[in-house]
Formats: sequence, C-alpha cells, structure tokens
Amino acid sequence: MRTYELVFVVDPRVSDEDVVAMTQEYKQMIAAGGSQVVKEESWGRRKLAYPIAKLNEGKYVLLGIESEGGKSSLPEVEHRMRQNDKILRYLTVRTDEDLKRAASRHPKAAARGAGGGETPAGEGASGPGGLAAAGEA
Amino acid sequence: MARPRKVFYRRRKVCKFCADKIDYVDFKDVKLLQQFIPERSKILPRRISGTCARHQRLLQQAIKRARHLALIPFTTD
Repeated sequence: MRTYELVFVVDPRVSDEDVVAMTQEYKQMIAAGGSQVVKEESWGRRKLAYPIAKLNEGKYVLLGIESEGGKSSLPEVEHRMRQNDKILRYLTVRTDEDLKRAASRHPKAAARGAGGGETPAGEGASGPGGLAAAGEA
Repeated sequence: MARPRKVFYRRRKVCKFCADKIDYVDFKDVKLLQQFIPERSKILPRRISGTCARHQRLLQQAIKRARHLALIPFTTD
C-alpha cells in the first residue's frame, strides 16, 4: 500500500466555502480512482514565505491519501490542479517508503514522525484564518 | 584568569536528528526546518550544523519541498 500527502495552496481570495467545495471535488476524484483520503487538514490562511502571483497569503489544505499499488488517480488530480489557476502551488509526496525506513531505524520513535502530527500553524498564520484551521474536515 | 584556556568552548557537534531520533524529516515541520536556515535562508551546511550525512540529505529534501509550498523562503533580500 502506498501513502501520499498532497498539499495545495489556494488563492486567499477564494472563500472558505469554495475551498471546502474544491477540496471535496478533489477528494471525490481521488476516491473515484480507488484511493482513500485518510486525513484532511486545513491550515487556513497562512502567510507565504515569498509572494506567488503577487499574493502574500494562501490557504493551505493537506490531504493524506492511501492507495493500493497500481492505479491511482493522482496524476489526474495533479493535472487538474495545474490547470486550476486558483491553486497557487501543490505538492504530492509519497510517504510510505520513507516512513517505513524511518520506522525500521527507530521503531519506538517512529510514531512521532508518522505523517507529521504537527501543522505549521501559528508562526506565519495571520489572525482570523488561524482559527479556521481546525474546523471543517 | 591565570592562564589562557587552550580549549575553547565548542557547541555540540552532534546531529540533531540522530540525537532526537527523528528519522523522517517532515517538510511541514517549519519550526524544525527553520533551525537549519540561517538569515540568508540558505541551507545550513553540515560542517556547521554537525548534521550527519543521512539526515542532511533528508533535511535538504524537506527544505526544498517546503520552499516549493512557500512555507519557507528561497532567499531573503
């Protein structure tokens, strides 16, 4: 089984509801491709480390995905994200191999690193968005 | 002081990741990554940080991923 983490950054001018709707759409695509969305996190509005498309903030969404080997709709999802100009950035990372490797080195400490329980909230996040982070899902 | 100390104080030159038993460097863990990006936002070389080769490799990868998502900067101007 493969696990992935998919993070994308949405234009902050898109309303929270629309972000949720978009996320929903991508989740459906993922599900249609035979994978499961096992984790969903919204980090809310967060300051970008550098401006992208003249914007200084972005709304971050993280999806944790599990998929049985073989087919998955992730390339398709990525393709759609590329074409969506409301999405400033996206990143898909396959995590199962690295986590497994980590687990075999320090079986005890592994749980901590798994998928990263810590979100980079606070720190760069600006006022109201920070609160919205925990909501939804 | 009577005689100048020959041995000057050295920071711990131990790989932080080995010490803390972190085997998966998460690109989302901005706090952790920031410890390895000094003022200029360059990746701190391991000759300075003392990070072991394996962990420097993981760290480098994580920093680059975080940069892509604008979690940490490429440069500060």
